[in-house]
Amino acid sequence: MRLGVKVRVSLRHLSSRPFQTISAVFVVALSSALAVMLFLLAQGLRDGLIRAVEPFDLIVGAKGSPYQIVLNTVLLQDVPVGNLKWSDYVSLREDPRVDISVPLAFGDNYRGCPVVGTAEDILRIRGGQPVQQWIDVAEGRWFDKEFEAVLGAQAALESGLLIGDTFRTSHGVVLGEEHDVSFEVVGVAARAFGPYDRAIFVSIESVWESHDHDDDDGEEEKDEGEVTAILVRPATYPDAYSLAVSFQHDTERQLVFPAQTAIRLFSLMGSGERFLSIIVYSVAACSLLTTLLVLYWSNRDRRRERALLYALGAPRGTLVTISWIEGTFTLAIGALIGELLGRAGVYAAFHLLGDATAIDLSAPMTIHEAVIPIIMLAAGSFGGFLIALSERTGDSASLKIR
Amino acid sequence: MNAFVTPFLEIKELRHDYRQPDGSYAQALRLDHLLAARGEALAVTGPSGSGKTTLLHILAALIRPTCGEVLFDGHDLFAAGHSAARWRSLSVGYVFQEMNLLPDFSVLENLLLAAEISSVPKSDAGERADSLLHRLDLWDHRYSRPSELSLGEQQRTAVARAVIHSPAVVLADEPTASLDAENAGVVMDLLMGLCAESQTLLIAATHDEAMKKRFERVVNLRRPVPAAVGPELVSSREVI
Ligand SMILES: Nc1ncnc2c1ncn2[C@@H]1O[C@H](COP(=O)(O)OP(=O)(O)O)[C@@H](O)[C@H]1O
Ligand SMILES: [Mg+2]
Repeated sequence: MRLGVKVRVSLRHLSSRPFQTISAVFVVALSSALAVMLFLLAQGLRDGLIRAVEPFDLIVGAKGSPYQIVLNTVLLQDVPVGNLKWSDYVSLREDPRVDISVPLAFGDNYRGCPVVGTAEDILRIRGGQPVQQWIDVAEGRWFDKEFEAVLGAQAALESGLLIGDTFRTSHGVVLGEEHDVSFEVVGVAARAFGPYDRAIFVSIESVWESHDHDDDDGEEEKDEGEVTAILVRPATYPDAYSLAVSFQHDTERQLVFPAQTAIRLFSLMGSGERFLSIIVYSVAACSLLTTLLVLYWSNRDRRRERALLYALGAPRGTLVTISWIEGTFTLAIGALIGELLGRAGVYAAFHLLGDATAIDLSAPMTIHEAVIPIIMLAAGSFGGFLIALSERTGDSASLKIR
Repeated sequence: MNAFVTPFLEIKELRHDYRQPDGSYAQALRLDHLLAARGEALAVTGPSGSGKTTLLHILAALIRPTCGEVLFDGHDLFAAGHSAARWRSLSVGYVFQEMNLLPDFSVLENLLLAAEISSVPKSDAGERADSLLHRLDLWDHRYSRPSELSLGEQQRTAVARAVIHSPAVVLADEPTASLDAENAGVVMDLLMGLCAESQTLLIAATHDEAMKKRFERVVNLRRPVPAAVGPELVSSREVI
């Protein structure tokens, strides 16, 4: 029998049992989609985190969990652990081992976008792929006096604020009591492809002042306020270690290598991922078994038809091939739909997550995420082959089955 | 029949025993000798259980007999190196009592699929199918599924399928048993007519007296005496 005819016979068998076929395809598609989604999400989170960490060589922050510092400073998430004194910043700025130091003050927001009190030195930080200026002005200008603000690219979209608009910040990470003073938008930053796209940059002095105003004694002299964290770019590589040593026995401050912390975070994520993988693999195995069972039963149902074809002179190999094509086709369609569904799901998830954290999750697609669908296809195809082979074809008694 | 010419079909000392679930063997068929020529029409009769179906299965090489010889043109059907599938596809047409057709395929597709299995060239198959469909009054039903046909139409389709590749022998296992007398007559006329035209040997199992009368030769099978279970019985192996 020509191959084309075998394929057509297989497809006819499948199309004449739409319920069985569709449920088998559905089961395979769903579990492949789960696997693809898990893989791409993990990959995307990892890539996003790596990209977000890049501009941060070293961070000096208050004593506490280094994870928390990375979360606050790099990802702009969660509440800060504590604050440093302005003098801490000044001494770092004067330190010959430090090339660039950028003060960062968090704690206020405008409609959920974090307000970052900082200094012009932040414009000297480089990062990204390819390496370029991390924070750059795309429209308008950088702030040069108090109560001027530069919006991150995403913050500009989310807040709807335009250059020239004024707004009032609130205390807290999300919502909170509104401060008395208002800021004027003077510029919009270029995309940084990271959490800082949601930031609103203001001078650190204006953060202090907006808090002072709330105390209602406007006469108070400009007090040197606090700094949440200091982004440090060491002059040389050995300087980084020398700095680390100086902070080693500090009881109030600590120096964090964000890249190392991120790596430790990955290994934490990794064990969670492994657990999820086990679940996904189990789901895939179950759906594979279900599919093979469906194949087995539909093969059994066709015992009489196989016997008939056999009696007409179709060799056993032809019958095995027809069953095998049926199974493989079902699995291939299921795996393909699963792959597409998984990608679609991940794009949706990336969109939601990306908006909430500004972590860039536009991970490029790799062959790896197709591993589960491919394994399922291969294993199922082989299983289908065994099932097709095991069917009693040469049994003349099958001809008597009604 | 000229004794000096090799007969088309010769059966010698044919015997078949089925292995029972308890391991013993049950005698199913005894046929000492039979000769048949091309173009003959032969009825195999006998009560139910006398081995008619078993004989036809053996002639189609669907099962290997326990012992005995089946020679077509002097060649042993069960000789080593003889492909059973090839024999069935090229030389045998088979009509079963019922449920002859593949349910997921139309009448035309059933015919063309059989032709494909028998390696009939595509254009010849189409022509042959068309002429058979006209001749057997199935043209209007060519796109119907078997479930949409009457029993008579289904058996006529089975007859068309059995001869589409111009086989040397057509085996029909009680082809009219599930039909009323009128339809049975039509189907049997067509079957006998088609076989006679193409010098095809027709062997039809039947236990219907009216059918028997139509045949020039009748082979009567008797139910074999119950087997004496013993080690002398050769094991029955089915052809794979
Ligand atoms: N596959 C089989 N396994 C065991 N016994 C069988 C099988 N097929 C037929 N038989 C037995 O062989 C005998 C002959 O059967 P069969 O050839 O079908 O007779 P008929 O077609 O004349 O009714 C019966 O006793 C039947 O029960
Ligand atoms: Mg019978």
